[in-house]
Amino acid sequence: MTTLAIPTSLDRDLAAIVGDTHVTQDHTEINGITPALSVSPASPEEIAAILRLANERDLVVAPSGEFTRQQVGGIPERIDVLLRTERLNQIRNYDPGDLTVSVGAGIRLADVQSALGEHQQWLPYDPPHQKTASIGGLLATAAFGPLKSGFGGLRDFCIGIQFVSGEGTIAKGGGRVVKNVAGYDLMKLMIGSYGSLAVITGANFKVFPRPRQTRTFVCSLSSLKDAIAFRNQVLRSPLTPICVELVSSRALEYLCDPPVAHDPGEYVPTKPVSAPSTEWQLAVRVSGSDNVLARCRKELGSPVVRELEGDSESEFWSWVSQFEFSVLDRHRNAMIVYAHSTIQNVEAVAQALERSALDYNFFPAMLGRVATGNLVLAFLPLPVDPPAAMQYANCASAFRALLPAGCSAMVTQCPKEAKAYFDVWGSTPTDIELMRGVKRALDPKKILNRGRFIV
Amino acid sequence: MNSSILRQLKKVAGKDAVLDRLEDRRLYEYDGGIDRSVPGAVVFGLNAEQISRVMRFANANKIPVVPRGAGTGLSGGAIAEKEAIVLSTARMNKILEIDIPNQRAVVQPGVVNLELSNATVKYGFYYAPDPSSQKACTIGGNVAENSGGPHTLALGVTVNHVTGLEVVLPNGRIVELGGKTQDCCGLDLTGFFVGSEGTLGVTTEITVRLTKLPEAVATLLAIYDTVEDAANTVVAITQSGITPAALEMLDGWLLRAVEAAVHAGYPEDAAGVLLIELEGMKEVVKEQAEAVRAVCMQQKARDVKRAKDEAQRQALWLGRKTAFGAVGRVSPSYYTQDGVIPRTKVPATLAEIGRISQKYGLQIGNVFHAGDGNLHPLILFDARDPKQTADSRKASHEIMDFVLKLGGSITGEHGVGSEKIDLMPFMFTEDDLNTMVRLRNVFNPDSLLNPHKIIPETRMCREITGPLPKAKVEPVQGVPV
Repeated sequence: MTTLAIPTSLDRDLAAIVGDTHVTQDHTEINGITPALSVSPASPEEIAAILRLANERDLVVAPSGEFTRQQVGGIPERIDVLLRTERLNQIRNYDPGDLTVSVGAGIRLADVQSALGEHQQWLPYDPPHQKTASIGGLLATAAFGPLKSGFGGLRDFCIGIQFVSGEGTIAKGGGRVVKNVAGYDLMKLMIGSYGSLAVITGANFKVFPRPRQTRTFVCSLSSLKDAIAFRNQVLRSPLTPICVELVSSRALEYLCDPPVAHDPGEYVPTKPVSAPSTEWQLAVRVSGSDNVLARCRKELGSPVVRELEGDSESEFWSWVSQFEFSVLDRHRNAMIVYAHSTIQNVEAVAQALERSALDYNFFPAMLGRVATGNLVLAFLPLPVDPPAAMQYANCASAFRALLPAGCSAMVTQCPKEAKAYFDVWGSTPTDIELMRGVKRALDPKKILNRGRFIV
Repeated sequence: MNSSILRQLKKVAGKDAVLDRLEDRRLYEYDGGIDRSVPGAVVFGLNAEQISRVMRFANANKIPVVPRGAGTGLSGGAIAEKEAIVLSTARMNKILEIDIPNQRAVVQPGVVNLELSNATVKYGFYYAPDPSSQKACTIGGNVAENSGGPHTLALGVTVNHVTGLEVVLPNGRIVELGGKTQDCCGLDLTGFFVGSEGTLGVTTEITVRLTKLPEAVATLLAIYDTVEDAANTVVAITQSGITPAALEMLDGWLLRAVEAAVHAGYPEDAAGVLLIELEGMKEVVKEQAEAVRAVCMQQKARDVKRAKDEAQRQALWLGRKTAFGAVGRVSPSYYTQDGVIPRTKVPATLAEIGRISQKYGLQIGNVFHAGDGNLHPLILFDARDPKQTADSRKASHEIMDFVLKLGGSITGEHGVGSEKIDLMPFMFTEDDLNTMVRLRNVFNPDSLLNPHKIIPETRMCREITGPLPKAKVEPVQGVPV
């Protein structure tokens, strides 16, 4: 892949906006594309100036945070300017009494959490890479973690957003109070827009009191069917867990550090072969007093095989959150799919994964938020028989074809060579023509992330 | 509206679906707010296809269309000018599907909010957003306004409970946004649509989340001798780490008005009360009720009473939910606001409202969703007295000034509509508003759908309001109100 020749004056013009030291040659590769220049503006005004310049010169801009999800999406057409938000890293306002915080887009989630932690508060939000990921990047990619079951996602607690639209207009939506219906809900539009509409410069959140005590009950079930039945029982019970996570037996191998995964390609003829485990685990995390925990223990009953608390509990949930990246650390060529289904279609999605993976020489592993239907699926390649690029495309289509109506499945990670052969985003029930209209309204010259997102 | 257009409209919409006589149209000249305007015609939406035909017809003839649910809105969102068509979704009132295993229901826009909870309570579920008008207001209207209610403190407003929409655009195109799944791929246009106050499209089908009924509920009434103590308690509860399901505040004047109207069981000699509801597992509710009681007593509550049974609980809530109606009994006119402030500023704001009340010699009653800082100060005046009318407007502006100075919002749940349109520039820059206009144009390019709402084009001044529409649905046993 090559990048387009840049007019030689570009770095000078960018330096005039942000200062010499903040324009650099960055060789970070995004799906095989190397950005020509990297620029780190310090304010929304500087970002607006950069975007206006890009509009004048038809430059393609890729906004970036801390590079935790930059590989998600289609192959960019080209990247002339990598726009880094790392200098917008301030906590601009935090009043613990009001339970609201407003931050710059470049700040890391971990830094926000530690500021909130001083007042026993938190964002109940635990996406992958929660130590390094930036708030702007997490918003742009609508990242989520296991706590989504109990607290919802970013869309449920982001109460205000500031951004610079693709054409270079500084704008905002929402505000700093927890209840607000003035004007259109631009937070919803920006969350999950993958930097294709605007560069997010900051956001306001409502925050929550941190639970004083939590406990995780790990329940073991002997089959998927039993696990789903038990999940239904938990959902019908009076319990109000903050996480309800279903974990397949192969996914379990990645929930430790380092993973002790059995290499799918490992073949030792002299070793007796044991039948694959059919165990599924349901991890139920609850917060509350000793009385509440005792009640949960009683309600959950005999399937509980382990109780986690303290450090081992937080470690467990960070592994769950980081699952897809633990898989990728071990299998560079794995394919990760986010499937969104109804609560009752979780079983059908798991079966679709099983069938399509095996048909195309992958091993299946999955976990997910089964109280809401947000699943993370891994297709693990066999090292002895590495899949060809087309195989990913075929496997993804076969998987999608097996999904019940209304489910959507986006491929968040796969080798870039495969991305040429299929649409990583997949189908969506939401009207695509309107999405394109929204894109045109905010970024008419398509200077932002051209080629990456669905629009 | 000229007769040829009307004839064609009847052909397009169906003869029985159009009202054109003045006496019929007059019933559609108001909503729960203050504006009045008799529309050119009223069309009853029957299904997506018929609405699509009406929209295409209106679009071709450049006739504005104003969608309308039950007309309980408080910001003039459903008011149409005299050449416009009011498109009522009141006849589209079927619950299409109740899907308990997936915790979803699919409804037509005209389904009354409380009717959905009434229909699902037998399965142990309900629809959580509970605006005070929930016996009359429709879910389509709730979607348009992103309605809240007392119980949204813990459970969120309408947008947190809607996952899918079927919408007819002004050009007649029928589109899907989202579905039954919690999330889907691509832009979250479902979330963007909710709260767009009927300016982006007409909803014809809504998929909502259903919420499991809590195992236990405790409703506390904390009674105070000063309003300051009550306000300080709100801050203290928020800081204690407990999020009640609802945390409402009524001041002394207002609770006496309520007591006179409905006998809710409020103490008439108190300076203020907090209505606090806790829900969840019975262990949680027990612990939290004790903790909250302790916080209240620490903040100098005179007494904390707990509703002994469902009847007492319903009575306490009836008082809160009919507060506006009760005020209608004692004052010829009143004006209410919907500002939101940071929660720690509740005491300061109450003091400021007291000062403004004295300054103008106008009674101002306060009923707040205190837990999330959403104020509803009711400014009482006599519209026949021009000085009082002018003063009420000044007082209202002073309160809103104060709210904005605190970094607050002009509306927490009633919407901007036409009523607060001239306040929008105080919260948003020209560029913010232009961005919103550009986005509106994607859906509604000629602004023929609900024109002159939300985003200001001209300055307007508003006052005076009337009683809420009569209830259509009665609550059934066990449904949270």
